[in-house]
Amino acid sequence: MPSPWRGMETDLVILAQHGDKGAFGLIAARIADRFLAVSRRILRDIDLAEDATQQALLAIWQDLPGLRDPARFDAWSYRLLVRACYAEGRKERRWAPNLRLLSEGEPLAKDDLSSVADREQLERGFRRLTIDHRTVVVLYHYLDLPLDEIAEALDIPVGTAHSRLHHAMRGLRAALESDARSTEREAAL
Amino acid sequence: MSANRDVNRIVRSWLRTDEHESADAVLQLVLSRLDTTPQRRSWWPTWRSNRMNTYAKLLAAAAAVLVVAVVGYQFLPRAGGPGGQPTIAPSPSPALLARGTFTATVGSGYTVVLDATGADSSVSGSMVVSQGTKGYTVDLECTRTIDGLLWIGGDVTQSTDSNLPAGTRAAIVLLRGSPVEAIFAWQGTDPPSASCEAFIDDMAAATGDIQAGMEPITGTLELAP
Repeated sequence: MPSPWRGMETDLVILAQHGDKGAFGLIAARIADRFLAVSRRILRDIDLAEDATQQALLAIWQDLPGLRDPARFDAWSYRLLVRACYAEGRKERRWAPNLRLLSEGEPLAKDDLSSVADREQLERGFRRLTIDHRTVVVLYHYLDLPLDEIAEALDIPVGTAHSRLHHAMRGLRAALESDARSTEREAAL
Repeated sequence: MSANRDVNRIVRSWLRTDEHESADAVLQLVLSRLDTTPQRRSWWPTWRSNRMNTYAKLLAAAAAVLVVAVVGYQFLPRAGGPGGQPTIAPSPSPALLARGTFTATVGSGYTVVLDATGADSSVSGSMVVSQGTKGYTVDLECTRTIDGLLWIGGDVTQSTDSNLPAGTRAAIVLLRGSPVEAIFAWQGTDPPSASCEAFIDDMAAATGDIQAGMEPITGTLELAP
């Protein structure tokens, strides 16, 4: 999913930096849906995601005059979105493990990506991750950002971004395998 | 490795599951709040790109040549010997405050032609700041030294930068050293301070740790001792 912020969009950013509300409106319209999608995937809650998106868009408007290099808008704006997600995440700890059980007699179809079982497993596994780890997973696997851009957006070293992604994926894999073993045991009984 | 790829594939597929997410309501709310949400003023100009365009380079080069020519002319031997024109005793010239042509590397760089003489509230001269097609000219009026920083400010008289329209006040802030460091401050379209000196005092009070945002200059700049 390529970033929409390249080339000519820089002119819009510069206009908005100088207080042009129309230019900012165009920018916001371009990024709002994406921001909502990203924050919903990080926070796993549409209400929190809408609040985070609103916070991030207003923060962009307020802080745009301080953006030194408009060509870096995309990484900078993702940083503000992630900050907003952190703020919303602290507000309510809604990512406690969801312990909804699979129905008995429903064997796990390991290769069926669209199965309800996989979605449930991933949801549970993802909710167990810290918000740091979720963020890297979403930026990498949903937005297709390379690790160096993720590091820039999160203001962390590339090695840290790589490490967070590694640990997050290991956690998700463990969750999938653990649930698969449980389901196999249940099916054998 | 195969298992890792499977997990990656499963996670990607899960994250990209189609869910209708429309931020229209959020967007309308945000846009309705812009009028009551002021932008935070930065104390350095914003920048278009990391590279000057060719036209700006030519302008900067022309400005540099002009400064060299003017300075060089001052050192040409004057005809005043036998048979020559009579010399006229020069009137005392105002003391140099700051003079040079340089690039302030804050952000991606503004070209600055600075020529200031005098002291305190009796500063005269100008500062021309340009980058690309944007720029402004400041009619310098006053100077202050606050916490080791040299502030030189005045009125913006010409501008193609909407952030600093003519009639507003602007200043350059310099930190002595090798290289000298610089940053800009301006009052924008806020109600103007009562005087140039008050403007600098207000800016110095409002900016806090302005030194943290300063960047080294490249080029030449001569400062009063």
